Amino acid sequence: MTDQAQARAPAAQAPQRAARSTGGLNFKQLFTQYKILALLVAVALIWAFFSWKTDGGFTSARNLSNLMRQMSITGILACGMVFVIIAGEIDLSIGSLLGLLGGVAAVLDVTRHMPLGATVAIVLAAGLVLGCLNGYLTAYAGIPSFIVGLGGMLAYRGILLGVTGGETIAPISDPFQQIGQAYLPPAAGMLLGAALFVLAGVLAWRQRLSLARHQLAVPALWRSVLRVAVAGVVLAAFVSTLNSYEGIPLPVLVLLVLLGVFSYIARQTVFGRRIYAVGSNMEATRLSGINVRAVKLWIFGIMGLMCALAGLINTARLAAGSPSAGTSGELDVIAACFIGGTSMRGGAGTVHGALVGALVMASLDNGMSMLDVDTYWQMIVKGMILTLAVWLDVATRSGRR
Amino acid sequence: MSAYLLQMKGIAKRFDGVPALDGIDLAIRPGECIGLCGENGAGKSTLMKVLSAVYPYGDWDGEILLDGEPLRARSVRETEAAGVVIIHQELMLVPELSVAENLFLGNELTLPGGRLDYPAMNRRAEEILRELKLPDVNVVLPVKNYGGGHQQLIEIGKALNKKARLLILDEPSASLTAAEIEVLLDTVRDLKAKGVACVYISHKLEEVAAICDTIVVIRDGRHIATTPMQDMNVDRIIAQMCGRELNQLYPSLPHEIGEVVMEARHISCYDPDQPARRKVDDVSFQLRRGEILGIAGLVGAGRTELVSAIFGSYPGEYEGEVWLDGRKVDTSSPLKAIAAGFALVPEDRKQHGIVRDLSVGENITLSVLQRFSRLTRIDDGLEAREVGAQIARLALKTASPALPITALSGGNQQKAVLAKMLLTGPRVLILDEPTRGVDVGAKFEIYKLMLELAAQGISIIMVSSELAEVLGVSDRVLVMGEGRLRGEFINEGLSQETVLAAAIGQGKP
Repeated sequence: MTDQAQARAPAAQAPQRAARSTGGLNFKQLFTQYKILALLVAVALIWAFFSWKTDGGFTSARNLSNLMRQMSITGILACGMVFVIIAGEIDLSIGSLLGLLGGVAAVLDVTRHMPLGATVAIVLAAGLVLGCLNGYLTAYAGIPSFIVGLGGMLAYRGILLGVTGGETIAPISDPFQQIGQAYLPPAAGMLLGAALFVLAGVLAWRQRLSLARHQLAVPALWRSVLRVAVAGVVLAAFVSTLNSYEGIPLPVLVLLVLLGVFSYIARQTVFGRRIYAVGSNMEATRLSGINVRAVKLWIFGIMGLMCALAGLINTARLAAGSPSAGTSGELDVIAACFIGGTSMRGGAGTVHGALVGALVMASLDNGMSMLDVDTYWQMIVKGMILTLAVWLDVATRSGRR
Repeated sequence: MSAYLLQMKGIAKRFDGVPALDGIDLAIRPGECIGLCGENGAGKSTLMKVLSAVYPYGDWDGEILLDGEPLRARSVRETEAAGVVIIHQELMLVPELSVAENLFLGNELTLPGGRLDYPAMNRRAEEILRELKLPDVNVVLPVKNYGGGHQQLIEIGKALNKKARLLILDEPSASLTAAEIEVLLDTVRDLKAKGVACVYISHKLEEVAAICDTIVVIRDGRHIATTPMQDMNVDRIIAQMCGRELNQLYPSLPHEIGEVVMEARHISCYDPDQPARRKVDDVSFQLRRGEILGIAGLVGAGRTELVSAIFGSYPGEYEGEVWLDGRKVDTSSPLKAIAAGFALVPEDRKQHGIVRDLSVGENITLSVLQRFSRLTRIDDGLEAREVGAQIARLALKTASPALPITALSGGNQQKAVLAKMLLTGPRVLILDEPTRGVDVGAKFEIYKLMLELAAQGISIIMVSSELAEVLGVSDRVLVMGEGRLRGEFINEGLSQETVLAAAIGQGKP
């Protein structure tokens, strides 16, 4: 799980090792190396707090299942957004784009009675096209992505209002609803969990081999075993909790698949390497003979595709196309990426980090709603958490350079 | 009371243990104009940064006396308060603000309540401009309305407004026309007459000879000579500026020079900020197979612009043709240039060379990554093997290719950038200041590699500000000055004086 973080943070490890050899350990270095663990600890604390306040209601299987489904929308968008931010750009239009594409899906389904397959295909294609439009305006027309996003935010929302006439489009067909509300049968869930456990083992083993090949210090065997064991425990808890309710929700499954696909793109593909290169030093990357504009175009295209996916799931989950769907969703997504340790100047970040960030945001939403906290307090708390997380990140980062 | 306005005694400054200035003395009388001369990298700018406290007191050794009293300024503000004002090569004016607002930037006159006192500022601004013989400038118009020469004088006005007693002019005429330079020189003469002392830094030695009373030459961070101008002439200044023993050894490897491979025809580059001005003015040259062509010239001569136009990375407008093997090739972007067989190792390693967040290995394979991918997946093993081969070939010192590129020394970073470009299999390799910020050992290895590449038939263009290096490794030398080709020499018994004279515009082209 922290494979990527390690591959990208050896600079942090070098002083770390030195510090250990002299017997001195300081909080900053620990925090930098184990940032993702610190985040998970934060999630655990948040969960413990809400669980205490709701007498265990928060950590009930039913609620956790619900929480994961809520998180899946933000998570799917965060998968796309983390690439956008790593490439040194931003996309503010995604909340409106999600709403528009979800609304179009509802219109196609309810008003036009299209078969589900056609609806999904049209919406995904539309998402890719609109995403590429954002990318074209940013990369080729040279408009700053902040402005393109701002323009898109207004325009896409406006189109949505026009398409729906400002009214909720309901009820959507049954098969469509299944996209957001179906569950994986428990047996399949178990199988999936087992497969992921084996995968974790294989990845850990491969990482050790790769470290050895690069003449880097290989961590002690017990640490790798422990890490895989922890992954196994988490997977077991995850599958058994969700199975004890209804099974793994389909949107959560989609998110898991995306986590795998996007991590693979980031770490194992030419395109992924170029995303990091473009965000870290665009000019040097261009001088290396890379078409940096095309890279950016496709990053935005993928972002649009994720908006389509999230829009479909959102509409399916609500069983309706709402003209206000996804309003200010972009803020949650961007916050999730930054909480997850994505660098604000581009060039660094991980998909799994962004997803843990999304989990933090979803947990806060869900828990505070359960506690009937006023909406205004929810906003204040989320704002403070985001600021605090980035402050911690900045404070520890500057200490390293 | 000292007769000198300012004395610098035994100034020494080190960067990471490498001495940049080594015991420099400088003394200036009121109303005196000192010409500070030296090659690129001799330490002129460093010395002036010590004087103006860009490097604060304590960052360097030695002593600065102002009116016989020690000056221990820790910030530029303190030196300016003491009357020492530096005018940088790049103008520090805010184009959108008015002339008067610029003159008072940082020293604004205010009315009670913090409101800007525009009438007083405008009045004072008009006085200053009258002093500078610029009565036609309207002080309420934005600075961007005026040309480079006026802006330079407005910058001087800004210094006068700070009650400057010592004015440091760093390459003030670099972007001025001949007529504007005359006005500038007249202004400096007026200032001298009023008792303001000047340090004048310029590569244009005629200007230095025209207005300076004393010539101070530094070389390799050491003080070489202080001579009154009446005992000097331009040739003597050049002799003092060079006069360096070859303290580095250059490798030698016989390499065969073949037929003409590449030709640049009528390359012109326009200044992105002032589209009328040409940074490169109609330059054409040929390059032969296995030849190392050195391009010499002073800073601002247009060398980097020329090679970046050939490589398709020049940021502004440019024109001209590039021919390879007798065919016109499209090099309008780095992507196309690399495909055509060109490679460029850029001058600014940090901004244009390395990608900070990637590892050494990832930097090396950046240009040719698709070569290691099967379907979409990067084959780690294949990539690691190629990286290993390149690291061995260039003797790149790194504990592991997975280390971040920023963990390496400058020389090894340069080797990584070079490895990246060599992997593209270039026919023509362009090296822009390949040894800047590189230690002596790594320099030698880079020279050796260049010769090996030439022996393999790769043609190399090397832009360098170090004359010794140009003469040490080139087969042929082009000299540029003010955007034009000023000379072309076969490197046989060629002397630094000849090249420098051509670069300054004193030679017979």
